[in-house]
Amino acid sequence: MKLIEALQILNQQRPAEARTRKFFLVCGFSPLYLLTFLKAQLALKYPQEEVEIDVGLYGDVAGNLERSRAQPLQSAAVVLEWSDLDSRLGIRATGGWLPKALPDILQSVEAAFKRLEPAVERLSQGCPVALSLPTLPLPPIGTSAGWQATPFDLRLRELVSGFAGRMAGLARVRVLSSQRLDLVSISSERLDVRSELLAGFPYRHAHADVLAGLLADLLYEATPKKGLITDLDDTLWKGILGDVGPGGVSWDVAHHSQMQALYQQLLAALSGIGVLVGVASANEPDLVEEVFRREDILLPRDRLFPVVVRWGRKSKSVQQILNRWNISADSVVFVDDSPMELAEVKAEFPQIECLPFPTDKPEAAWKLLLQLRDLFGKAVLLEEDRLRAESLRTDAQLTEALSDGKPSDAFLEQAEAVVSLDFKKNPSDARALELMNKTNQFNLNGRHYTEAEWETHLSHADSFLLTVSYEDKYGRLGRIAVVTGTRNGPAVDVESWVMSCRAFARRIEYQCLQALFKRFSAPLIRFNYRKTERNGPLRQFFADLVKTGVTDSNLQLSIEEFKRSCPTLFHQVRELRIEGSADERG
Amino acid sequence: MSEVESRLLKCFSAVFPNLPPQEIVGAKPESVAEWDSVAHVILLGVVEEEFKLSIGVEELEGLNSFESILHYIKARNHPV
Repeated sequence: MKLIEALQILNQQRPAEARTRKFFLVCGFSPLYLLTFLKAQLALKYPQEEVEIDVGLYGDVAGNLERSRAQPLQSAAVVLEWSDLDSRLGIRATGGWLPKALPDILQSVEAAFKRLEPAVERLSQGCPVALSLPTLPLPPIGTSAGWQATPFDLRLRELVSGFAGRMAGLARVRVLSSQRLDLVSISSERLDVRSELLAGFPYRHAHADVLAGLLADLLYEATPKKGLITDLDDTLWKGILGDVGPGGVSWDVAHHSQMQALYQQLLAALSGIGVLVGVASANEPDLVEEVFRREDILLPRDRLFPVVVRWGRKSKSVQQILNRWNISADSVVFVDDSPMELAEVKAEFPQIECLPFPTDKPEAAWKLLLQLRDLFGKAVLLEEDRLRAESLRTDAQLTEALSDGKPSDAFLEQAEAVVSLDFKKNPSDARALELMNKTNQFNLNGRHYTEAEWETHLSHADSFLLTVSYEDKYGRLGRIAVVTGTRNGPAVDVESWVMSCRAFARRIEYQCLQALFKRFSAPLIRFNYRKTERNGPLRQFFADLVKTGVTDSNLQLSIEEFKRSCPTLFHQVRELRIEGSADERG
Repeated sequence: MSEVESRLLKCFSAVFPNLPPQEIVGAKPESVAEWDSVAHVILLGVVEEEFKLSIGVEELEGLNSFESILHYIKARNHPV
């Protein structure tokens, strides 16, 4: 992006009622163009909102970290450069580069990190933090020629790595990848000596633009894709199965099909972090199963669900997979080597991201792997991510047990289900907020919260939060429902309520309501309901419950109505309490 | 209006979006409230990028009006 383009983006009118997202850019240099580019990048990510970025004082990173904590923020970017760690590592100070000064510089850098560490941690307790470590080249300091790394250089980088590693271990700190930065901003094209000396701004425009883009990626709460549907022939393996047979397809260096091996390996890893991986292939099912029985397969058969192998239009297979996953098309990526298949699926499902697998082009295939990582990568990996794919497979057994789309009492009774209710208000519980922001179908009103809004809401004395976990003999689903709201006199006002689609058909939603009635001894629950494009399942639940038409906004339910409509609940209920736990029969 | 002039107008509009187009030609720090030191650096950054120039350190201070910047660009014989 050019500077003039960034300014033009910022000059665009926002809607009059646009809400404001507040950020803070913490740095020790004059923020100048970095601020302009960062604002523009964030404005692109939040087109309906006003983006405000506050900055601190020149040359005072530690002070700016404290200043940034003085206000509620969406998130903060902390950008460190060498001169923030010791001014002798910058070009505006002349403290000396004598060999005898080097140990002192190292000590001073170490001390700077010790000061910064708790400050960044404190900041991250209030909002998510994107952290960038020094990106500029070191000055000509040291005893050797520039092509030789000195113990001084290496120790400096070790200190930076240590600090970065400790910070990355904090729940709400996201460290900018220096590898990604190196790929998109050439190291020798970063420092602007003239600008640093004249204006205290050390970056060339292009570097400031790239750095701002990556910081915006870190600050923006992007929703990763949830499912990947892959083709088999000339995609997951090289060769046409029908032509060469199960022993003839390959994925190894010897057969020039190593990229297929890496692709398998990546899909296996993605399934390990909860990404749903399904197969849509025009093939003979028996042959496909035989390939998956090969000992050298890198993507085991049990990592795939469902495997749809049939002749005919690919979009039909994709539809079948989407139905089994019960997720929306815009959360899905489809990979196939055939441009025609990709076009056919895209025509049927425009929201699906369709990517070609470049069978005989290793460089392009490598780029595809990097792209897939970006599409599915998660800022934080939760236990529920691991459980997701597993529970989808067990869902299949549940689905098969349903004759009319709804579970029978007999089936639910033997499921040995346990529902755990947790009323603790823990704003830093990433899973609760994730569920709230990513669930579309069983969602009371589609409201999304920023971390700061979530924290503010939960800090109110009269607010409540119910987080629900579920497991049965088919497996654990983990935390799958969140209800939040406030207690107002005799009534309970539910402001938001979401439940993962993985938890449908188990009557957990009834258990949520029963828990609220019981917990608050309330005769009435009022719901801040709003019809959205995608919350049909929730609407249907209410329609079944109140037996009347559901209006487009606001609902209420009395305990009498609930008791009349609530089916038998077979769950064992555990209410988690701070001081211990109590079990009861649901 | 020459192409250089119209491109320079675009630079000024980007940095000073509230400045009416007819006032840009006569713009100088004294007549534009938003024209502070930060805006000055950003304006010259935009001009450098737009006209692929590297403005010399000693020339920066003299470039303090639409007219002087236009004159500078023309003097650098920028192809139009």
